[in-house]
Amino acid sequence: MTYHQTQFIAASPRRRVPASRFFATLLLLLLSPVASLAQTALQRVRQTGELRVGTDATYPPFETVEGDQYSGFDIDLVNAVAKEMNVRARFINSGFDGIFPALQNGTFDAVISSVTITQERKASMLFTDPYYDSGQLIAVREETQGISTPDDLKGKTIGVQINTTAQYDLEKREGVTVNKYNTIDLALLDLQNKRIDAVVSDAPVLKYMIFKSFRGLKTVGRRFTDEKFGIAVAQGNEDLVQEINAALRKIRESGEYDRIHEKWFGEAAERAQEAEAATKKPKVFDTDLAKRTLPLFLQGIWLTAKLAFLSLLFGLPIGLLLALARVQSSRLLKAPAAVYVEVMRGTPLLVQILFIYFVLPSFGISIPAFWSGIIALTLNSAAYIAEIFRAGILSIDAGQMEAARALGMTHAQAMRRIILPQTFRRVVPPLTNEAIALLKDSSLVSVIGLTELARTGQELASRNAAPLTIWPMVAIFYLLLTFPLTRIAEYLERRWRPITRS
Amino acid sequence: MIEVTDIVKRYGSNTVLNHATFQINEGQLTTILGPSGCGKTTMLRCMNRLEKFDRGRMKIGGVEVFGTEDRKLTAAEEKELTRRLRERVGIIFQNFNLFPHLTALGNCTESPVTVKGMQRAEAEEVARHYLSKVGLGGKEDHYPAQLSGGQQQRVAIARALAMEPEVILFDEPTSALDPQLIQSVARMLRALDDLGKTLVVVSHDMNFARRISDQVIYFEGGHAVESGTVEEVFSNPQKPETRAFMQSFHEDEPGAETQEREDAETKIPGDVGTHGH
Repeated sequence: MTYHQTQFIAASPRRRVPASRFFATLLLLLLSPVASLAQTALQRVRQTGELRVGTDATYPPFETVEGDQYSGFDIDLVNAVAKEMNVRARFINSGFDGIFPALQNGTFDAVISSVTITQERKASMLFTDPYYDSGQLIAVREETQGISTPDDLKGKTIGVQINTTAQYDLEKREGVTVNKYNTIDLALLDLQNKRIDAVVSDAPVLKYMIFKSFRGLKTVGRRFTDEKFGIAVAQGNEDLVQEINAALRKIRESGEYDRIHEKWFGEAAERAQEAEAATKKPKVFDTDLAKRTLPLFLQGIWLTAKLAFLSLLFGLPIGLLLALARVQSSRLLKAPAAVYVEVMRGTPLLVQILFIYFVLPSFGISIPAFWSGIIALTLNSAAYIAEIFRAGILSIDAGQMEAARALGMTHAQAMRRIILPQTFRRVVPPLTNEAIALLKDSSLVSVIGLTELARTGQELASRNAAPLTIWPMVAIFYLLLTFPLTRIAEYLERRWRPITRS
Repeated sequence: MIEVTDIVKRYGSNTVLNHATFQINEGQLTTILGPSGCGKTTMLRCMNRLEKFDRGRMKIGGVEVFGTEDRKLTAAEEKELTRRLRERVGIIFQNFNLFPHLTALGNCTESPVTVKGMQRAEAEEVARHYLSKVGLGGKEDHYPAQLSGGQQQRVAIARALAMEPEVILFDEPTSALDPQLIQSVARMLRALDDLGKTLVVVSHDMNFARRISDQVIYFEGGHAVESGTVEEVFSNPQKPETRAFMQSFHEDEPGAETQEREDAETKIPGDVGTHGH
C-alpha cells in the first residue's frame, strides 16, 4: 500500500473550501439526485426531535471535541438554535473532506463548521443567515518588525491552512510564497521554528492558538478580509433554513447570541486566557496533557485495532482466492482477477472509501460508516495481499507441482497440500508488511467520520494547540499496535524454521 | 509391456521427438541412453503425461495414449487418462523434487492419503516399510533439507513406491549425485528390479547404463536409433550413430578405477551426512 500517515493528514480537513476539492465536487455531482428522493430534513428533525449536525471539531474556539464533549462557539450556538426549535442537537464529527457529501446524502441535517459562505458553495447547498463575521489576520514572531498589512507580505514566505480562504487570498497577491499546512497548529509551529515569516488565518483562531501555546508569536494589524460563517443545509430544504434563521433571530433578540459571543470572544474570555497563560508555561511535551488525554485515545486505538484486524481477517482469504484465480490457466477467472487487482491497486484508497460510503447509497446500497471503512480497507488490501500470495506461489519451484501431479494429485490437491503450505511460509514477511501498512492506512477512514487513532490525535492536537505532545503519542500508539503483528510474524517464522534449514 | 509407436512432439518449429518407436519388456530395467538434447527426457515425461505428444501412440499396461493431433480429448477424458496413467507410472525426478515442508515420512504418506484415500495410520505403515526398504529406517522424521542428496533420492524412490506403481521412471538418477554414490544407486535400481517393477531409466552415463540395464535403447535426434541387450548395443552396435557414441565411451573407459569406487561406496552405509543445500 502506498499511503502514509502524512498523506492522510494531507487528505484531511480544511474549512472554508470554495468547494474546489475534486472528490467532493465529483461526489456532489453524483449525489445530487439522492437528496431530493428522501424525506426533507425538517420533517425528519420534527419527527425525531433531533437535529443532526455535522462538524469538523478540530477548530478552536469554534468547535472542538474531547471524548464525547463538544465545545466551542459554533457548538453553543447550535445548541441554542436547537433549543429555540424545541429539538436536541446531536453532533457528528467528520473530516472536512467528507462533510459536504455527508450533508448531501442525509447523514446530517446541517453542517456548522466555521463554513464561510461563498458563491461556489451556494451553487450546491443552502446557507442560513450569517452567524459570525470573521476575517483574516497576520501572526508573526514577537521580535518581527515591519509586517502589519497584507502588502508587507510581499517577498515573504507565509504559512496558511490548506484550502482556506487565506490561501486563496494570498495566492492572488504577487511575490508571496505560500506554504500550506494541514492544520493551523502546524503552521504556527513552523513560524515559531523560523522557517516561515508569518501565518495568516482566522482572527479568533490565531488568537486562541497563540494564547494557548505559541507564546513567542503575536498578531499584527487588523482583519483584512470580511468573511461570514453560515450554517449549511442540503439543497431542497428551504423550510429548515427558514426555521434555523428564525431561531437565530430569536437568540440575537434575547441576548443569548451576545452571551455566547462574550463567552468565547469577549474580554472576559481573553482575560481568562491571559490568566491561564500567565500561570501555565507552555511546555514542548506536556506530561499533564498526555496523562489527561490518555483515556481519550483509547476509543481511537480500539477503533483502529478493529478496523485493521477485521480488514485483514477478510482481506487474507479474498486475496488468496484472487491469487489462485490469477495463477490457474482458465482466462475466465484469470482476467477478472487481474482487472480487480489493477483497479484496486491503481486507484487511491481514499477514493474507494468515499465511493463506498457516499456513492453507493445513490444505487440503493447504504452501508454504515464503520462497515464502509471495513469493506474499503478489505477490498483494497485484498488486491495487495493477492499479489503477495501470487508472488509466493510463483516462487515455489515448478518441480513441486510436477512431483505432486506425477504422484496422482489433482491440481487442486497439489495446490492445497503441497504448494500453498510452502507459500504461506514464504509470504510471512511481506504479509507482515502489508498488515502494518493496512493498520496505518486505516486512518484514511476518518474522512467518513470515523474517529480512529490518527483523527483522535488531530482533534486533540488542535483543541489543545499541542501538536508536539499529541503526535508523538499517536506515533507510540501506532507502534504499540504494530507490535502484536510483528510478534505473530516472528512466532510463525520461528516455528517453521526447521523445515527450511538443516 | 510398454509400446511406443511413432511418437512425434514439437515445440514450435523444433521437433523434439521424431517418430520415436520402441518397446520395453515388463519387469525389466531399461535404459534410454543418448547424448543431451536427444529428447530422452521428454520421452520419459510423455510416459506419465507430464508432457503431451502431438502424434503417435503409446501403450502402458492397459492404458493407451494417442497424440493430441490424432485424437482430441475432452477435459474429463484427459483427466481420467492422466489419472489412470499416473496410477501405474511413478517418476523419480533428476532433482528428486521432495516436498521440503514435509518429513521423509510425510513425503511418502501425502499421496496415498490424498489420492488413494488411505487411512493415515495405514499410509504411515506402508511408508515406513518402503523407507526402511531403501535404507532410511530411522530417518522418517527428517526433513529433506536435513538429508544428503543420496538420501533424498531414496526418499523420492520410497515416495514413488508408496503409490505402488507398476512402472517407475528415473530421470538421470546419477547426475545430481556425487560420483561415489553411483554404485549405490545402481544397487538400489537392481533391488527395485527384483521387486518385479518395470524400470525405465534415462541416462547419458554409458558406464552406468551398461552396469544396470537389461535392455538399452539408444536415443538420438528424437527417436530410438537402436534397441537391444547391453551386450548387443554396447559390444555390437548396428547403427553408425550408436557406434560413434560408443566410440567416445571406450575412449574414456574408467577401467581399474571402477573397482576403487565400489570399495569406497561400501564404506558409506546410508551416508549419514546432514548436508543442507
